[in-house]
Amino acid sequence: MTSDEPPFGDDIEVKVGADAAQLPVLRAIASVVAMRQDLDLDAIADFKMAVDEAGSMLVLKAVGQTNLTCRFTPTKAEIKFAATALSESGEWPDAGSFGWHVLSTLADEVDASVTPATGGHLLRIEIVKRNGLGHE
Amino acid sequence: MNPRGGYDHLAPLFVELAALPEDSAERRELRERLVTEHMPVADHIARRFAHQGAPLDDLSQVAKIGLINAVDRFDPEHGADFMSFAVPTIMGEVRRHIRDTSWAVHVPRRLKEMRLAIAGAVTELSQRLGRAPTPSQIAEHLKISREEVFEGFEATNAHHSLSLDYLLTDDPDSASLADTLGADDPELSVVDAREALYPLIKKLPERQQKIITLRFFGNLTQTQIAETLGISQMHVSRLLAKSLDQLRAGLVEG
Repeated sequence: MTSDEPPFGDDIEVKVGADAAQLPVLRAIASVVAMRQDLDLDAIADFKMAVDEAGSMLVLKAVGQTNLTCRFTPTKAEIKFAATALSESGEWPDAGSFGWHVLSTLADEVDASVTPATGGHLLRIEIVKRNGLGHE
Repeated sequence: MNPRGGYDHLAPLFVELAALPEDSAERRELRERLVTEHMPVADHIARRFAHQGAPLDDLSQVAKIGLINAVDRFDPEHGADFMSFAVPTIMGEVRRHIRDTSWAVHVPRRLKEMRLAIAGAVTELSQRLGRAPTPSQIAEHLKISREEVFEGFEATNAHHSLSLDYLLTDDPDSASLADTLGADDPELSVVDAREALYPLIKKLPERQQKIITLRFFGNLTQTQIAETLGISQMHVSRLLAKSLDQLRAGLVEG
């Protein structure tokens, strides 16, 4: 779903090589998006790290020479980050891993899914960071 | 903003200049006139580089030297017009100056002050609100625009070695804080043991162990951790990100 629809409204879609070297780019975008949504500084830092973590989980699984397709969907109440990558293995996610634990701590919602795709499996991860203002 | 505009009438003067004898008073006079009349070009170039952080006065001086060099070295017989010779000459001079004085890698003073102001506001607001402030709250507190707050944060991110914390804390990794990670290892068991995470965490510097444990196993926010450890939230953020990188690298190797 991430890869088919063009961005609309405030959405931002980015495609980067499935390479750890690209993660700082995602982190930087995450930071700007979260800052402009006026999340508090803790939430901005959490969101940045969560995007980083989600990205690196996908990069580790991704087939070489493929892309991470990422979409940021900021709304007043929350920011959603969804990313997909093509993998040979459909074992996803590893919910016992440290990475998953980190992600669940940092984000308000974490969701992962696998769908069959040409050349392997399309791994998807989605995280939501809520604008905590007034809710704590 | 075309610096070339309105200098064509000066072109014939370069031919005149070249014809005048070296030490003549007329030559000196004409040279000075050419420099003075072209001065807006030098200023224009200086201004273009000013956003990189060097003081405009310095850049104007350097650009002026570049302009004088250009006037002295220009050979009208070579056919090219003065502008296409002078502009690169002046820019080269300015660039060299910026490089040599390494201004380009420094953060402009205004931004340095902004970062300090922001850091102060973050501390104050965190205490008052009992939670981390948002960029809007910081902007309101400092009576500046949100864009300026973003700018300040960008400057912080871009210059790790000059980060706020190094300015605000005397000894960021002082051993006095390292007493905290004691016998109780809160819920490290949540994580799959096969990842051999525990020894990796234990390999981190003690302060990072503490922060990782509090954040991911004690579920404190960064601001709460910052308070506990007596450092800034931004420093906690950075140490946390660094620790995760190190753990990730360790897990991949192992």
